[in-house]
Amino acid sequence: MKNKRFRKIFDAILIPALAIISGLLLMAILIAITGQPILESYKILLQKGFGCEKIGNCAILSTLERATPMILTGLSAVVAFRSGMFSIGQEGQYLMGSVVAAWLGYAIHLPSGVHQSVIIIASMLAGALYGYIPGVLKVRLGVNELLATIVLNTIAMLFTEYMVQFPLRGDKSTTAHSPIIDETAELMTFLPGSKWGVGFIIAIVAVVVIFIYLWKTKSGYEQRMAGQATRFALYGGVPSKKAAIRAMIISGALAGLAGSIEVLGVHRRLMTGFSVGLGFDGLTAAILGQSHPFGVLIVSILFAGVKLGAQLGLQLKLGIPRELGGTIIGFIILFVAARKFYENNIERIRGWFKSRGHKKAKGEGN
Amino acid sequence: MASALEMRGTQKYFRSTDVQANDNVNLSVEAGEVHALVGENGAGKTTLMNILYGLIKPDAGEVFVNGEKVEINHPDDAIKNGIGMVHQHFKLVPSFTIAENIMLGIEPNSAGFISQVSENKAVKALAEKFNLPVDPKARIRDLPVGMQQRVEILKVLQREAKILILDEPTSVLTPQEVKELETVVRQLSKMGYSIIFITHKLLEVMNVADRVSVMRNGKMVGTVKVKDTNIPELAHMMVGREVLLRVKKKKIKKGKPVFEANNISVADVNGLAAISHVSFKVHEGEILGVAGVSGNGQTELVEAISGMRGIDGGQILHEGQDVTKTTVRERRDAGVAHIPEDRMGVGLNLETTLDENLIISRYNMSEFSKFGFLLGKSIRKFAHDVVDAFSIKAAEPGEGISKLSGGNLQKVVVGRELSGSPSFIIANQPTRGLDVGSIEFVHKTLIEARDSGAGVLLVSVELEEILSLADRIVVLYNGDIQGELNASEAKEDEIGILMAGGSLEPAGKKG
Repeated sequence: MKNKRFRKIFDAILIPALAIISGLLLMAILIAITGQPILESYKILLQKGFGCEKIGNCAILSTLERATPMILTGLSAVVAFRSGMFSIGQEGQYLMGSVVAAWLGYAIHLPSGVHQSVIIIASMLAGALYGYIPGVLKVRLGVNELLATIVLNTIAMLFTEYMVQFPLRGDKSTTAHSPIIDETAELMTFLPGSKWGVGFIIAIVAVVVIFIYLWKTKSGYEQRMAGQATRFALYGGVPSKKAAIRAMIISGALAGLAGSIEVLGVHRRLMTGFSVGLGFDGLTAAILGQSHPFGVLIVSILFAGVKLGAQLGLQLKLGIPRELGGTIIGFIILFVAARKFYENNIERIRGWFKSRGHKKAKGEGN
Repeated sequence: MASALEMRGTQKYFRSTDVQANDNVNLSVEAGEVHALVGENGAGKTTLMNILYGLIKPDAGEVFVNGEKVEINHPDDAIKNGIGMVHQHFKLVPSFTIAENIMLGIEPNSAGFISQVSENKAVKALAEKFNLPVDPKARIRDLPVGMQQRVEILKVLQREAKILILDEPTSVLTPQEVKELETVVRQLSKMGYSIIFITHKLLEVMNVADRVSVMRNGKMVGTVKVKDTNIPELAHMMVGREVLLRVKKKKIKKGKPVFEANNISVADVNGLAAISHVSFKVHEGEILGVAGVSGNGQTELVEAISGMRGIDGGQILHEGQDVTKTTVRERRDAGVAHIPEDRMGVGLNLETTLDENLIISRYNMSEFSKFGFLLGKSIRKFAHDVVDAFSIKAAEPGEGISKLSGGNLQKVVVGRELSGSPSFIIANQPTRGLDVGSIEFVHKTLIEARDSGAGVLLVSVELEEILSLADRIVVLYNGDIQGELNASEAKEDEIGILMAGGSLEPAGKKG
């Protein structure tokens, strides 16, 4: 039984792992073109992405901090995908959560502890509402959720920009930003010199909660059945429409949570150009993480590390453009998309080993 | 003289499922012979034919065509050696014409340009040669299934096959189309073609074949001449034990009505009337058979009764309660069970585990969930119980079900639906595509449910099945009930007349 379980996990991880190795190998070629030493570059990438020189300057902590919003938007995508909703609205829901967090951060004054909790709940509600819209449009009117969320993303982006430029604008400086949030609204960080803090812990808790929700609760079961096999769910009496709307609400709440953590824990305000595609990173994490909460966790940390390593290591130390980090991630996504290639060859290799084993066993028997 | 085809010592072991699919199998087919290949699901028929057609590489074995040893590693090799295959699921391009499909890949061309005129001409000539009329310009998507199959056969003949493999060719056909196919097969055999006819319907074997080879558990049990054998004997060879082809059932103990449909009308997916003003009752301890040619409203009727589809008019009562407006969930909770016609697409979710498949109809009961959480332990126990009670082979609670055979998949559905002691059971084509052993099992289970007091609505296009199980029969024609018969007095030809839209009135008047 244990063995089987291990085998299942191994199978799930094998392809992303192979894709990452392939991506890193391809990167070697690109580094070679820039004329930098290849092994040295890898070392620096790892050091600046996942290393820890001393407590005040610990790369892995920055990586974990950067991974936090990606984990949450990734979970948001997982909940939607698993329930048969191809929603790419994480970006919009994330922004809505951020706007609410930035506003309540300075507009209301509450004691620490209460203040953060109120803001986080409000942000999650904002995200949930923004997820509910495409959900209800899909269920009641049959509007394709993919298109609806694309449109809603754009609306959210423009809305955020407007809020920063006008109603929430803090001062008359050349770049627009909202006022700094109250100290009572800040999320605690653990160590000086890094913004790694409570937000990451919240993300880890969310991973576990979503795992339990999807696989151990009635509602999660309904959502997965409705997502995997529509006709089967209808036949079995699963309230699929409710499940779809519920999925979009939870998905939106998670993305909204990501927004509030990013504001309360990292930036402490909203500024122009706040949207940098974190929601879309979540999509990538969900797809690469096999639409599984733990997969999202691993992939998010990995990607955050590679990005940071490319930015702080390759660019600053070796002068290799930091876009290389994005390129590696692009390669990895490409290799995952080409998973059939690995699957076929894995089967072949495995079959070859087994046939040898089988023949051997037979031979000994005779 | 050497046989047209001979396979010797064929071996195939599947590592992924640990199954010896073919164990030293020999098969020989004469020229001009219709050779039936029968066996239960998973007996190894399809594996053997896929090896012959070059789709699967065998571990060992030789193939001889007209006495000469040939190597077949790819379908191209098979075609070169005059072996052609018509798959169970057609491989045609729906948007292409018949001629374009038949000539696909072997288009007559000049300097790379293909001419539709010459294509159509070639197909016309081909069709005339084999007396299989088709319209070369018709598009596949507009054709009935029987005609599509004819195109597949012509496609194989165009590639000059002398040995035709037909993989369960009748499973998708209406009774009339089956008759036509049988004529075609006999005609081809007269012209000297050899036909390997894979099926598990023994009646067809008796109708069409010259010889029959029986496989069981990957081994060839034997080859016999059809005129020297009979259906019970073949069934015995297939299953390895005595098979009850007609289920014994006790006398009916009819109770009060458990289900009533009053004047109901149902629309199909296109909004057209599929069922109009139909009324019937099912009583406790009774099996009501709904006979009819497929496509006369059965699907819509069953979906409406189970709650999957709304109705346009009328009233549905379950145990005296009006359930017309209730959901699937509410009807299921009230004791309605449903064995759907499409077990892969509707009755099961092949992407998830056995456990999760088994609880779909009752996951919200306190037995399986509390405070919103699923009770893993009792679900697992339930899965073990069902696997044991319905002897579902190769199924492991907690594991996927996608590799189970058709018969075992149906046992999962039947096991789930019947284990909650439902009061009303809807069984739509419950034995479609199953082998004799599994059919016997499903029939026995339905009879047991009836004897313990449940009302059963059995919808089937197999007349044989209706006659052997039902206590009362209604015939569905064009969305209406064409007539009602008492099963013990019903004659096959009477039902046939009703199924074709005829009426028994004149006979009634005379009597």
